[in-house]
Amino acid sequence: MIRVRHVSKEYGAFRAVDDVSFEINKGEIVGFLGPNGAGKTTTMRVLTGYHPATKGSAEIAGFDVNTHPLEVKKRVGYLPESVPLYLEMTVSSYLSFVAELKDISRSKRKSEVADVMERCGLTHMQRRLIQNLSKGYRQRVGLAQALIGSPPVLILDEPTVGLDPKQIVGIRQMIKDLADNHTVLLSTHILPEVSMICDRVLILHEGKIVTEKKMDELEKGASLEEVFIAAISQETKPAHA
Amino acid sequence: MRNVWTLCKREVKSYFYTPVGYVVLGAYALISGLGFSLSFILYSFWTETPALYDLPAVPDFEEAFLSTYLVYCGTIIMFIGPLITMRLLAEEHNQGTIEMLLTHPLRDRDIIFGKYLASLTMLCLMLFTTSINMVIVYYFVQVEIEVLLFGLLAFFLMGAAFLSMGLFISSICRTQITAATLTFSAFFAFYMMGYMAEDLPEAAPVPAEWSEQAQTNADTVYQGFRTILNELPIDAHAQQMAQGIFQPADIAYYILFIVFFIFLTFRSLEMLKWRN
Repeated sequence: MIRVRHVSKEYGAFRAVDDVSFEINKGEIVGFLGPNGAGKTTTMRVLTGYHPATKGSAEIAGFDVNTHPLEVKKRVGYLPESVPLYLEMTVSSYLSFVAELKDISRSKRKSEVADVMERCGLTHMQRRLIQNLSKGYRQRVGLAQALIGSPPVLILDEPTVGLDPKQIVGIRQMIKDLADNHTVLLSTHILPEVSMICDRVLILHEGKIVTEKKMDELEKGASLEEVFIAAISQETKPAHA
Repeated sequence: MRNVWTLCKREVKSYFYTPVGYVVLGAYALISGLGFSLSFILYSFWTETPALYDLPAVPDFEEAFLSTYLVYCGTIIMFIGPLITMRLLAEEHNQGTIEMLLTHPLRDRDIIFGKYLASLTMLCLMLFTTSINMVIVYYFVQVEIEVLLFGLLAFFLMGAAFLSMGLFISSICRTQITAATLTFSAFFAFYMMGYMAEDLPEAAPVPAEWSEQAQTNADTVYQGFRTILNELPIDAHAQQMAQGIFQPADIAYYILFIVFFIFLTFRSLEMLKWRN
């Protein structure tokens, strides 16, 4: 469903992502781990078509991100790291706007927005201005906009940041339930979260994939925390182009 | 096209979710209304007793009132246009919402035309205010309706040209304040060019001791420079149009001006994707 081949992304002389390749099959939930500045967000941005890769190619549902960006964007729900919200809008008007952008017909729009708000626990907040919402609620609105239209691929950059413990459990369960019909790539710094919901983990360090393991393989041996620390402690070449 | 409309609708609503829309329209109505009342009253005095104002005859309505008033209205856009365009793309950068727009199934043209159309909607609301004044003119003065409509078109094109430049500047800025400041500076520079051109002598100020060939060359360059300064100011072409004088070059000027800045906005958005 997601295929990344030798993707590199350079910012001037700095190489943020260095020859990254991986594949994610339909229905899989993959955790994307790495310390700050490892290149997780950059890779996700390449996948969503926000910016092009300097080298390599990425495909989603068989469509190349560079040559068929619209087909890719129709199939991807994306929650960026800094949640993009129009603060002057209300929750429901913002989500209706997103539904309209995602080409959801007028007849279905209302029920789709109501359904997503229900799933994200936003129904009672629908008339509130986004600027008056707490960080956790803003995060939920961001997640809701990614879920609208039920896209087959979800790319979530730290989806549980700022949520209260009860909501985190709810969102984790929701992501797990999505696995039947969706492919999910999620980045997080919360390691137990990956253990609980992901099928596979990719660890990125200094722009390179240093470890790729299935969770069931992992559970037999060392804990995820040990694997993560070992992976990012490995010597890597200086990340310069 | 549907996406253009979706984005335009959101943008226009946004003007009125915040005080910007009300402030811009209110300020425009106040300033243009004051200008209208004062110049209309003055023109009525002129027509009654021209001698009292050292005028040989009743001055031509189109030239003395209509053109001056409509170009004055267009000039107001120079001051409040930056308030309309500053948020268009700079605010998307600042809030990070550009990431949302660029990762949804939208083409660059949907974003740019949606934004531009929203600013033109604000311009149309201003045009509506001015049209009310034109109805009053039509009621009191014997003037052909075509002349009034053509004058309003001149106002619209002048405003649309200012706004296209503002949209481009907003696309290269990260904050609204820098966008507004740069936009106003650019508008003002374009406007002042006309006054500079008025003071330039017709012949090139070339020293007499230069050879004839050098003088001819210097004059060719000077005349080119002078023509550009005369033709480039945004209000220069509106002045004749607002008198009801149709010249294809005037309309072509505005269309080319708008196309040029929309094109630059496309390039700027493209560049943004590579720089992000």
